[in-house]
Amino acid sequence: MSSTSVYPTPINAFKQSKRSVLSIIVDNEPGILARIVGLFSGRGYNIEALNVTVVDIKNNLSRITIETLGEEKVISQIIAQLEKLVPVHSATNLANLSESYEAEICLVKIEFDNNEQDQKILNFADIYRSRTVQKRQNIVVYEISGTSERINKFLDDLNTIGGIKVELVRSGPIGLGI
Amino acid sequence: MDNENEFTGADILLKALKDQEVDTIFGYPGGAVLPIYDAIFGQNFLKHVLVRQEAGAVHAAEGYARSSGKVGVLLVTSGPGVTNVVTGLTDALMDSIPIVCISGQVPSHLIGTDAFQECDTTGITRPCTKHNYLVKDVSKLSETIHEAFKIASSGRPGPVLIDIPKDVQFAKSKYISKKDISFREHRIKAGSKNVDKNFVQELVNHIKKSERPIFYVGGGCLNSGPQASQELIELVNKTNIPITTTLHGLGCFPGEDKSSLGMLGMHGNYEANLAMNKCDLMINVGARFDDRVTGRLDAFSPDSVKFHIDIDQSSINKNVKVDFHTNTDITMTLKEINSFIESNNIELEKKDYTNWWGQINDWRKKECLHYEQGEEIIKPQHAISRLYDLTTQKDTFITTEVGQHQMWAAQYYKFSKPNRWITSGGLGTMGFGMPAAVGAQMANPDSLVIDIAGEASFLMNIQEIATAVQYKLPIKIFILNNEYMGMVRQWQELLHGSRYSESYVDALPDFKKLAESFNAVGVRAKNISELDDAINEMVSIDRPVIADIWVDKKENCFPMIPSGAAHHEMLLSKYDKENPENQEKGKVLV
Ligand SMILES: Cc1ncc(C[n+]2csc(CCOP(=O)(O)OP(=O)(O)O)c2C)c(N)n1
Ligand SMILES: [Mg+2]
Repeated sequence: MSSTSVYPTPINAFKQSKRSVLSIIVDNEPGILARIVGLFSGRGYNIEALNVTVVDIKNNLSRITIETLGEEKVISQIIAQLEKLVPVHSATNLANLSESYEAEICLVKIEFDNNEQDQKILNFADIYRSRTVQKRQNIVVYEISGTSERINKFLDDLNTIGGIKVELVRSGPIGLGI
Repeated sequence: MDNENEFTGADILLKALKDQEVDTIFGYPGGAVLPIYDAIFGQNFLKHVLVRQEAGAVHAAEGYARSSGKVGVLLVTSGPGVTNVVTGLTDALMDSIPIVCISGQVPSHLIGTDAFQECDTTGITRPCTKHNYLVKDVSKLSETIHEAFKIASSGRPGPVLIDIPKDVQFAKSKYISKKDISFREHRIKAGSKNVDKNFVQELVNHIKKSERPIFYVGGGCLNSGPQASQELIELVNKTNIPITTTLHGLGCFPGEDKSSLGMLGMHGNYEANLAMNKCDLMINVGARFDDRVTGRLDAFSPDSVKFHIDIDQSSINKNVKVDFHTNTDITMTLKEINSFIESNNIELEKKDYTNWWGQINDWRKKECLHYEQGEEIIKPQHAISRLYDLTTQKDTFITTEVGQHQMWAAQYYKFSKPNRWITSGGLGTMGFGMPAAVGAQMANPDSLVIDIAGEASFLMNIQEIATAVQYKLPIKIFILNNEYMGMVRQWQELLHGSRYSESYVDALPDFKKLAESFNAVGVRAKNISELDDAINEMVSIDRPVIADIWVDKKENCFPMIPSGAAHHEMLLSKYDKENPENQEKGKVLV
């Protein structure tokens, strides 16, 4: 992978690392996201994906979901540091729960030139049961949801089709313990 | 509409401070805090100490807090006023000192316009406070201030900042008193409420089994309150277990007691570091396994079972993995250990750890703090020893700057009580000691307060002598003047081939004349025959005194565990040479 950043690409640095999804319940107040993001950058932790929305209007609570990479020891330290922040109610590593579910949503815009491409795209969209949001002559927009892994596979498959142009947005994973 | 029950934001602030029993505030005025200064003008419960630079205010608040156990409070204006306190806030965060900083902000409608003296105060101070607030609505002010004090002083203490826009200082609202506020528990982070009985039982079982136990005590013990020290003394006496403390733990246990091995760590005692290295049971009471203490981590106390009591969950298993931990207040936990031993009639007296103490006493024979005082030039170690001998009968508080003098003070001045030793450990802030002495003297007007200083550090906040003079605070600045940034020079000597790049402090002022120009008193000792007189004179004068003590310029601070080395690889004197492999690795560390 070539990189124009002065920083080393993190891929190798995280060989021992495991992917973890952290679920954080916070008071929805100004600066809370900055506190959390600042904690990660200040202590050299990694954010792979981040999602935040109010989930309880009455009690003014937001849920923040962060996908991060790190050794187990580092993840425990991140959780302990998060729980020290005043507006944080709880921080949970979903992997530590006996049962938890993850989902992510992705919108993909695909531009194509010919019928053959269209057919292949349609085929994959069908296999992955993605929903058509909009279809024009040479453009189609799909919505696909599920685990991040499933979305990755869908995108990998799309990439096998030559000559199409793909633009996408992903929510990052969200998750819930049961 | 003027309502009798409504007050301006500035008045609400003062009411809240009164409610919090604040009687002293350190500050410096400016445009964005004028309404608050106006409110201060017309009252008399709160004594305002006008510092000469905001850095002085924050270190004074720290000194006040450390020496009194109360929350230190300061007041600064927007923009440069508040950026000047960033170092001190970081210092208080690292060393867990409870302070509340009130800062003015430009009026709400100007926020975000790059207005005059506007800065993103909450943004700048977010990583260097335990928590901070921007209060945009005057009706939230009372509650915010009370929560700020609660957060600053609960759990692991730390600095909290409240930024108040000028229009909010003028706006009116009701005042809500402290007793009418119910705190939301998740925001207070006070640690676990109940003692972990299982932890206590395990610990006592391990004490019974252990052959080579040690207590490793840090600043958390101090922050748990004076009762923690009492419980610790009782426990040490009961168990006959040796005890070593960190830089901040000094005074939690009497330094002259036979069970005390003194300070451990980079410049700690030989016997303390070796005992840590060889122990089979380590009982960590409120210390955080700082790199200055552990040395090389992979060689840190390899054979011990480790117990850790710390109210801060994130300090547990951060640097060193422990076998048992509890996230509970130290006083509560130690009390439970003592009463568990008592009520179960556990006979620890039989365990006198003869071999272990024998081994420790052999290490003690190395006399790692030995120095040779000649006929003429004052050895800095000797200056501290004499200062200790000549002031030990008095009720003394010691603050320090940062450098060799700080380490010599920690080694040669002995503390018998907590809260008497006020130093910048985690951040190592030069310029801390003198304003901290101002704060300590405000809190303890009848005590002797001495800043043990280096000449370079002292120059960093020298303006605060004027504060001491104005408020008639008879603080003593005891300068170990070696004309060098001694600690920098020492590292250059050990690690950089004695290339003393920029560590000579040239063009020093005449400290005696400087004292006089501030209307303070200057005394000087140039050689050993003048030392005791200078100390006695300094102590006897009831005004601020600067004592300029000329010490050996080339003296180094030993023992020393060089960065990257392990506890058992200490250098005891300049004749010890470091293993070259460690030296290369250590060079890149701090
Ligand atoms: C604000 C700040 N800048 C730089 C340093 C790095 N530093 C640590 S000790 C030291 C020298 C201190 O000299 P002095 O106050 O004369 O004390 P000495 O070591 O000579 O006793 C320096 C520059 C620091 N700790 N703090
Ligand atoms: Mg010096």
